[in-house]
Amino acid sequence: MGYGLYLLFRSANAVLVLIAVVFVSSILFNASVEQELRASIEESVSIRITSPAYRALNQTERENLMNLWRETEYKRYGLDQPYWIRVLYQARDIMTLNFGDASIMRSPTGASGVLQIILEALPWTIMLFTTATIIQILLGLYLGLKAAQGVGGALDRGVSVFAMLSNSLPMWWFGMLMILTLSYGLNLFPSGGKVSIPPPTDPITYFFDVLWHMGLPLLTAVFVSFGAWTYITRNIVVGTLQEDFVMAARAKGLPERKVIYGHVLRSASPPIVTMSILSLLGSLGGAIITESVFTWPGMGRLYWIALETGDVRVLLGLTFITTFLYLVATVAIDFIYGFLDPRVKVGLTGR
Amino acid sequence: MREFRRFKIGLLGLVFFAFFVGMAVFAPLIAPAEAYYRWSDITYWEEYPKGVPPEWVNIFSSKKAATQLTLKPTFVEKNITFTYNYQSDIPPSDIILKVSTTATDQERQLSLHVSRPDGMQLNNIVRIVHRGGEVRILFTSVDVRGWLITWARDYETVENLEKIRGREAFVNPLMILFSKPQPGILLGTAENLKGQYNVVVQLSPPTATTARAIFTGSVFGILGTDTLGRDLLVGIVWGSRLALLIGLLTAVLSETIGMIYGVVSAYKGGIIDEAMQRILETVSSLPFLPILIILSYIMRPTVWNLALLMAIFFWVGPVKTVRSMALQLKEQPYVEAAKALGASGWRIVGKHIAPQILPYFFASLALGVPGAILTEAGISFLMGAAGVSEPTWGRILHDAQRYSATINGMWWWVLSPGLLISLAGLTFVLLGSALDRILNPKLKR
Repeated sequence: MGYGLYLLFRSANAVLVLIAVVFVSSILFNASVEQELRASIEESVSIRITSPAYRALNQTERENLMNLWRETEYKRYGLDQPYWIRVLYQARDIMTLNFGDASIMRSPTGASGVLQIILEALPWTIMLFTTATIIQILLGLYLGLKAAQGVGGALDRGVSVFAMLSNSLPMWWFGMLMILTLSYGLNLFPSGGKVSIPPPTDPITYFFDVLWHMGLPLLTAVFVSFGAWTYITRNIVVGTLQEDFVMAARAKGLPERKVIYGHVLRSASPPIVTMSILSLLGSLGGAIITESVFTWPGMGRLYWIALETGDVRVLLGLTFITTFLYLVATVAIDFIYGFLDPRVKVGLTGR
Repeated sequence: MREFRRFKIGLLGLVFFAFFVGMAVFAPLIAPAEAYYRWSDITYWEEYPKGVPPEWVNIFSSKKAATQLTLKPTFVEKNITFTYNYQSDIPPSDIILKVSTTATDQERQLSLHVSRPDGMQLNNIVRIVHRGGEVRILFTSVDVRGWLITWARDYETVENLEKIRGREAFVNPLMILFSKPQPGILLGTAENLKGQYNVVVQLSPPTATTARAIFTGSVFGILGTDTLGRDLLVGIVWGSRLALLIGLLTAVLSETIGMIYGVVSAYKGGIIDEAMQRILETVSSLPFLPILIILSYIMRPTVWNLALLMAIFFWVGPVKTVRSMALQLKEQPYVEAAKALGASGWRIVGKHIAPQILPYFFASLALGVPGAILTEAGISFLMGAAGVSEPTWGRILHDAQRYSATINGMWWWVLSPGLLISLAGLTFVLLGSALDRILNPKLKR
């Protein structure tokens, strides 16, 4: 299989997976979404009949009128169609980001549209976890290189032990511990939220206030993830250090700094970049759960509230958006990898 | 040196594993089964203190907290007297009186009095008219609190009274009862009054009765209690069964499927291999967490069902490695020889290929457990009672988050479940890495 064909397959696969997820969730949630819809139609119909215009009608006339309204509404939402058509409609709605209105939840600006709610939360998630990932990558690169240079040394052993320990640590639980110690105990950080209440008025104080609120979740995410990430970097670099061209560079008498940063890192960067995106994806789930611990107003918080209040439409929207983002990222990895390391474009045929 | 280290890692893993298995097996001996089955039934937990730390904090604290104590009464004429010897620095979190009499049509009177070690008599704190049955009096109830605040006002300074104005609901009535009558009695800063307290319940007319007084501790048990009064030890100990079950079951299922899949894919080769690899890629690209969340939301699965659900996503784990191992084994001369002798495909796979992969299978099995345990914990944490139907460790942490345990400093509620989740994960990582190194086949991965 050629590389282009491979990418095509991967993209098609991602789309297929997305459609499958949408269908499965449509089937799963069809009953509860429709129940909610019927209830809201019923409500609007019974409100409409109380209008003064219909006061003159008798009981049967009213009943007939209400039935008529009900039918038109059912037709409008496609509730008169057979089951599979309704599931199809719902899948189409989800795919076109037409999630409808949340039953209870509102966005911080008061919007009730599910898409609006999610779009207002998404930037906070992205902000928190891209920052965390950047710090984590830089820290991991630095420590990983240092560990690889002294294989078997104190730092190297420390890194592997730390990676093993932090790997079995649930990030969200560690977040709870952080709140207990640094927020409740030492009062260094706020225990949750994105800004103080009331929020500061001038933009600079506002910015630092948000930063201060981001401190604890950031610290948590970095602490739990950077161990494993350092270990991965270390392994990749250790492998690269044994290559002939490194020996050649050293034989040329290049200073060690140049060897490491010019030769080793350049060659090791493609797998490091891919692994960093992969590890980011891997931690996405944990990260989303962690958000809810800090009442950070992102996707995780939405998940928590949607599950607590049973807001099915928000849940559906969240599932679609997270799946979508995840799949986009997996496809992006393949593209980036081919871009960074041209060898895979030729070498892939044998896989 | 390296050998020794491997051995030590494995040994540590084994010790932890034995600890968890012991906890799971002896759960009924450590904590009553009924308590576990009625975990979500708050009536079961009404006699337990609400949200108090474990008893052993008394060792480290200069202020000793009262422990849980249930008293039987002495009957003196028509008075039911409970004699409580108060010697701690922090009073009990509540006093629950339960008085049962036979039901009648006539109205009866019941009144509550307390005599304190300093000779003060608190009379008629509560008067109840009842018609038999069980009468329950809580000292943290609004009536008793109100009475005690009114009584204590006389000893309080004007300043302090101003401080509690409008905040009466936050005054601890037990603190009033067990304090010397001096300024600060309402704020809880007055000195403790130690000694013998008599709690007297007077019935008129006197009737045959059974009665109990529960002085709920300000500390409780080995692990403390949560806001609903549930003994965390029960949840922790019984939760070990669920965690082991979910971890091992998911790992066994997914590793078995993955191994068979990898071997078959490698052995068949060609177009079948290609197709199986594509299916593999599709499954690996599924974002399992969001999907597991909505599936759990609809199905309310038991831990058994959740294990099945997780195996649907986790079987892809070992496939790549198993396949590459099997590809190498396939080319071995003895496999060719077996083929030449006319052995069937199943025989070759079962007899010559699978046994070689088995060591890797066991290591991979152990390493697959932590992922399952952590995923279940994450789902239970996020979903609480809307997710998995049993009270797992993750669910305990969900409740802790829901009742704001962290921002109220209830560390005992947060610490033990999470520590055990991490430790369970670590146990299998240690076992897996040790197994991996000890059983390491000479095959190139």
